[in-house]
Amino acid sequence: MAYAATADHVHIDDHPSGWRRWVLSTNHKDIGTMYILFGAFGALFGSVLSLLIRLQLAHPGGTLLAGGEFQIYNVVITAHGLLMIFFFVMPVLIGGFGNWFVPLMIGAPDMAFPRLNNISFWLLIPSLILLTLSIVVGSGAGTGWTFYPPLSSVGQPGAAVDFMLVSLHLAGASSILGAINFITTIFNMRAPGMTMHKVPLFVWGILVTAFLLLLAVPVLAGAITMLLTDRGFGTTFFEPAGGGDPLLFQHLFWFFGHPEVYIMILPAFGVISQVVSTFARKPVFGYLGMAYAMVSIGVIGFVVWAHHMFAVGLDVNVNAYFTAATLIIAVPTGIKIFSWIATMWGGSLTFETPMLYAVGFIILFVIGGVTGVTLANGGVDISLHDTYFVVAHFHYVLSMGALFGIFAGFYYWFPKMTGKMIPNWMGNIHFWITFIGVNVIFFPMHFLGLAGMPRRIPDYPEAFSGWNYIASIGALMTFAGAIYFAFIVFYGFKWGKKAPANPWGEGATTLEWTLSSPPPFHTFETQPHIP
Amino acid sequence: MKEKRRSTLIILLSLAFGMLALTFASSALFRLFCEKTGHGGTTQVARKMPTRVEDRVITVRFNADTQRNLPWEFKPLQKQITVKAGEVGLAYYHGINKSQTPTVGMATYNVTPHKAGIYFNKVECFCFLEQHLEAGQETDFPVQFFIDPAIVEDPTMDEVDTITLSYTFFPLAKGTNLKW
Repeated sequence: MAYAATADHVHIDDHPSGWRRWVLSTNHKDIGTMYILFGAFGALFGSVLSLLIRLQLAHPGGTLLAGGEFQIYNVVITAHGLLMIFFFVMPVLIGGFGNWFVPLMIGAPDMAFPRLNNISFWLLIPSLILLTLSIVVGSGAGTGWTFYPPLSSVGQPGAAVDFMLVSLHLAGASSILGAINFITTIFNMRAPGMTMHKVPLFVWGILVTAFLLLLAVPVLAGAITMLLTDRGFGTTFFEPAGGGDPLLFQHLFWFFGHPEVYIMILPAFGVISQVVSTFARKPVFGYLGMAYAMVSIGVIGFVVWAHHMFAVGLDVNVNAYFTAATLIIAVPTGIKIFSWIATMWGGSLTFETPMLYAVGFIILFVIGGVTGVTLANGGVDISLHDTYFVVAHFHYVLSMGALFGIFAGFYYWFPKMTGKMIPNWMGNIHFWITFIGVNVIFFPMHFLGLAGMPRRIPDYPEAFSGWNYIASIGALMTFAGAIYFAFIVFYGFKWGKKAPANPWGEGATTLEWTLSSPPPFHTFETQPHIP
Repeated sequence: MKEKRRSTLIILLSLAFGMLALTFASSALFRLFCEKTGHGGTTQVARKMPTRVEDRVITVRFNADTQRNLPWEFKPLQKQITVKAGEVGLAYYHGINKSQTPTVGMATYNVTPHKAGIYFNKVECFCFLEQHLEAGQETDFPVQFFIDPAIVEDPTMDEVDTITLSYTFFPLAKGTNLKW
């Protein structure tokens, strides 16, 4: 088994079974499946925490998370952010869908480094364990997901913050190894005839994401290491008393953090392109424009980081630059939105569940994009910084953008991955519950933010209670939708009809639909020729 | 095929490690950048005394802060002084260690408006060194400075007639207990 990965020329029909199949797996589909299951667990964990946050905030003077002078609240929001980013969105979109479908879509037999792939996945397990420890050890890590010093260096002694930082180290190492694997696979293992300008847009999305990971995550790793040595070994990288600068941490963090938000959304862009093209039964409008829009989003994403720091006292010229650079990102993003609309225009549209999610994605992402353009203005951001307007903005692009991308991809590829169909009407009900639910949570937050409600505070004045109550009802509704989703998946496995190789008709033109559902354990050992 | 994969792997790994190395270098690079450009109001260390004095009069105001874990009282002895561009000014701060133990402090500094940092030169400053105060000791901290006469040639500095010099003293010893 251990030799299977290196011996390209040896044909292997059987594969290990039982626990060995999973723990020692080098198969991209099995590893993808494990990523998706892992991500589902992370999602559940993170959602329960978000429900706790909304319950705390349902009424003014809430006492649910009041322990330790509200330190518990701080711990919950910190863990919620980290779980959703590192243990839900990234594992599912990149590790899950990426591992499953990048090799299939380019006609490769597997990933370039199958055993590295195994390590990438299994690094996440100790990482999640450490993050869980950071919640329960001592009074927990309550630094926010951005863990700025001095709060994270001298402000919160005790092991919890260290556990959180080491957890992120492991998750980061996993991401970097995964990124190397994806890039090598996409550059070197495409089927003959499949030029870079023919690979599906989902593959482009993963490729750009992998480059962002490769260049951004080491910066996070470096910043975390400096923070750990500041905490434990008396260095003063971020400590003014020793000549360091806490602002340097924010620069480093956001040099990673801003590409990170594109890391979360670019694979979703890819999924949406596949889904829209499939259900419009047309090729994507402006394929090259779409691909290079993602590339330019990735490139520009590296030079806009300080728009997260408009309020730290940068001088006005620096703020002006970061405002302008940030606004430029709206151009390639706009290209993508208009191209999706142009793909649908005149298409033979049907609205199966994945398509509903894709259209929902486009609508909600535009709303999040508009508030993003608002916040990109340094002058406006001074007054909106750290208010619920920002919370509304990034949940519209992530909680609805990335999440809807995940659901679109899940419903789209579920028949391929499992060989079972989910009844359309069941998925559609789930879509409407989720769509209404998330809007009820997050739309009122715009009003709260404009009215001046600060984020990361466990209580608020009476004046904000109305919209907060409504947001909390939305959270309950969305959570009910999530439970219903679990039932749908169970139903699909148990009673779902058998899926044909291509359940979506002539619009589904990528290579994975030429294989049976589910695909055999080994695929494309003889690579197909692409005309 | 395997060759190609290996060379891709090597390129990608060196990219990742290159970024990691840059990150560790960033601490020094960031300081260097601030010192060279005056970014964030970083003041300059004078290498030679000014050779001319311009007619431009600038008010220099003084600000003092102390981090709460340092048991010092620290304040400027004069609220402000006026100097001509190119003229050397001298100001004093006063520090008292109000605790029963000797403590060591180090001051951080900058000027506002930030764009004045590049023109603000310090000849001698207590902030260049660690400051040691015995229990109950009082002392005067001098700072000798001048404003680069080249300020008159910079049109973006035309409206600047006041520069605020600010210091914050931090305790140097680690392990001060913070309650949260």
